[in-house]
Amino acid sequence: MKLHPILAALRKHKAGTVLISLQIALTLAIVCNAIFIIGQRIERVNRPTGLDESNLFLVTQQWVGAPSADTADGVEKLDAMQREDLAALRNLPGVTSVAPINSLPLLNSSWTGSMSHDPGAKLGGNDNTRTAYYFTDDQALDTLGLKLVAGRAFTAGDVQHQGFRDQPPRPIAIITKALADKLFPNGGAVGKVIYSDGSNAPTTIIGVVERMQTPASGSWGNDFAWYSTLIPTRLDANFARYAVRTRPGQLDTAMRAVTPLLYKVNPLRVLDDDSVRPFSEIRAKAYRADVGMAILMGVICLILVAVTAAGIVGLTSFWVGQRHRQIGVRRALGARKIDILHYFQIENLLIAGIGVLLGIALAIALNLWLMTRYEMTRLPVSYVLVGVLAMLVIGQAAVFVPARRASNVPPVSATRAA
Amino acid sequence: MLKMTHLSKVYRTEVVETYALRDFNIDVKEGEFVAVTGPSGSGKTTFLTIAGLLETFTGGEYHLDGVEVSNLNDNARSKIRNEKIGFIFQAFNLIPDLNVFDNIEVPLRYRGMKSAERKQRIMDSLERVGLASRAKHYPAELSGGQQQRVAIARALAGSPRLLLADEPTGNLDTQMARGVMELLEEIHRDGATIVMVTHDPELAARAQRNVHIIDGQVVDLAEEPRFHAVKAGNRE
Repeated sequence: MKLHPILAALRKHKAGTVLISLQIALTLAIVCNAIFIIGQRIERVNRPTGLDESNLFLVTQQWVGAPSADTADGVEKLDAMQREDLAALRNLPGVTSVAPINSLPLLNSSWTGSMSHDPGAKLGGNDNTRTAYYFTDDQALDTLGLKLVAGRAFTAGDVQHQGFRDQPPRPIAIITKALADKLFPNGGAVGKVIYSDGSNAPTTIIGVVERMQTPASGSWGNDFAWYSTLIPTRLDANFARYAVRTRPGQLDTAMRAVTPLLYKVNPLRVLDDDSVRPFSEIRAKAYRADVGMAILMGVICLILVAVTAAGIVGLTSFWVGQRHRQIGVRRALGARKIDILHYFQIENLLIAGIGVLLGIALAIALNLWLMTRYEMTRLPVSYVLVGVLAMLVIGQAAVFVPARRASNVPPVSATRAA
Repeated sequence: MLKMTHLSKVYRTEVVETYALRDFNIDVKEGEFVAVTGPSGSGKTTFLTIAGLLETFTGGEYHLDGVEVSNLNDNARSKIRNEKIGFIFQAFNLIPDLNVFDNIEVPLRYRGMKSAERKQRIMDSLERVGLASRAKHYPAELSGGQQQRVAIARALAGSPRLLLADEPTGNLDTQMARGVMELLEEIHRDGATIVMVTHDPELAARAQRNVHIIDGQVVDLAEEPRFHAVKAGNRE
């Protein structure tokens, strides 16, 4: 390795060397952390909710002039209207099952509460585990495509109904495996009793589903993203939501048929353009900010890398021009074209090497700062290593064209006037 | 050592062809000290660049140390330049970023020589030109004469078969030029083959033999009365 003369030459060009090294260092530090954040966002955006998303759509509708849910009579009437809608939807061609439901994963409209092992537990106490409730019926598991891993599903006889603001006892529930593991780390959640929202009324866990995300898509919901509880209860109010599962390939047809069907059942209702939405749209809306941020950071990374590569090309081109005669002298003294090419490549490797060493320290420092100021986790070493490798490769790619131009300087240049 | 036969060098543009050398013939024997003279634009430097394999030629033959060089590729030409030819340029052509030691080391590194041998050769050649104490100095810290001595040391370090000097004293004052010329004469006495291009008749006269070029051709000075005054004789 002919490092000594290259280092000696670099010492004579400190300004350019330091500037490009710093540029490489900053790029590495920013790009490593940005790619890590992008990776986390992409991981978040792509995590499965546990639902059969591709064949699922949601209907949100509101009755006009509906009875009040504050009276027992009104609740009964509203429930009858809801059951009428459900029956009509379940008969729709292409539909396999329908369940009333107060919300869906990622809908950002949630009913959250807490679960405790003890009756009357103080809300917010240490024994409370936060959860999101899904009020639904016996078709919920089939409609949502949830996988039961222990216990049993709801039966028609389990299903109750209540006014929207009522808080009757919840005798049974199905919870997610994540919540079951949290509440009962030693397993055997089925058959166990828990107490919801500080209530003294016991709730028996009758089943455990593999996975179901809560409606919260924002970072505030990260701590309990998989702690969902299904209650076999239809909520009665002047509005209702229905989750509809179709046969594969029947989603669009079924969605188009919903609005005229429901108007036919009862024209006194409001159904607008957003009332019938496929789950894919709910997912896209929930993660729009994450995807936008990932794209923005990706573009910034590309610009940074491009600017750094351009800097390397510019500096090397300048040095090639500046050393034109010197290159001719080297050629005259016996350097082959490949020797000149290698000279500039090794020179770049040294500059990039200084840059990436500094960049590693900066990347770690930036990550530590982000960890203390924002909800950032520790930057994995693999990101830094890949970043280092990428910067070295980018440096070599950027230097190649000017270095090849240098290698083509003819030896006779040594005899020409400077 | 160096033999060119009917050699030509043509520079072509879209509209014109210029003959820098035409039917050029020269034969330099091993151990000779030949001065090549001629007016500006006569082709002296073109001859030297072709002799040093810095440039290719258009026609004819060129044998260097018994090897016909016209068909050699770039790598082979680089190898010959590195191993068989030592260059001394008018502008010294030292690399300003490197100190004296590193400058002399440049061609030795391209030869792939081991560190210990490189160091020995560098110090020997610096001793020979009287600059051993300046090994760590940079070119800018030396006088013109000292820089040219470093360039000579660089040329000598590789033990070349042929030393090509292009106006070696052209950038030096009289005293420094005399010192450099004495050094070249000493190197010649030690057995080196030297071809020196110069426009200075006094320097040319100190060479063993003169070759005069006019319009890209070697001319016989005996047939050119106006050059009788500078014709090289058997001065030694």
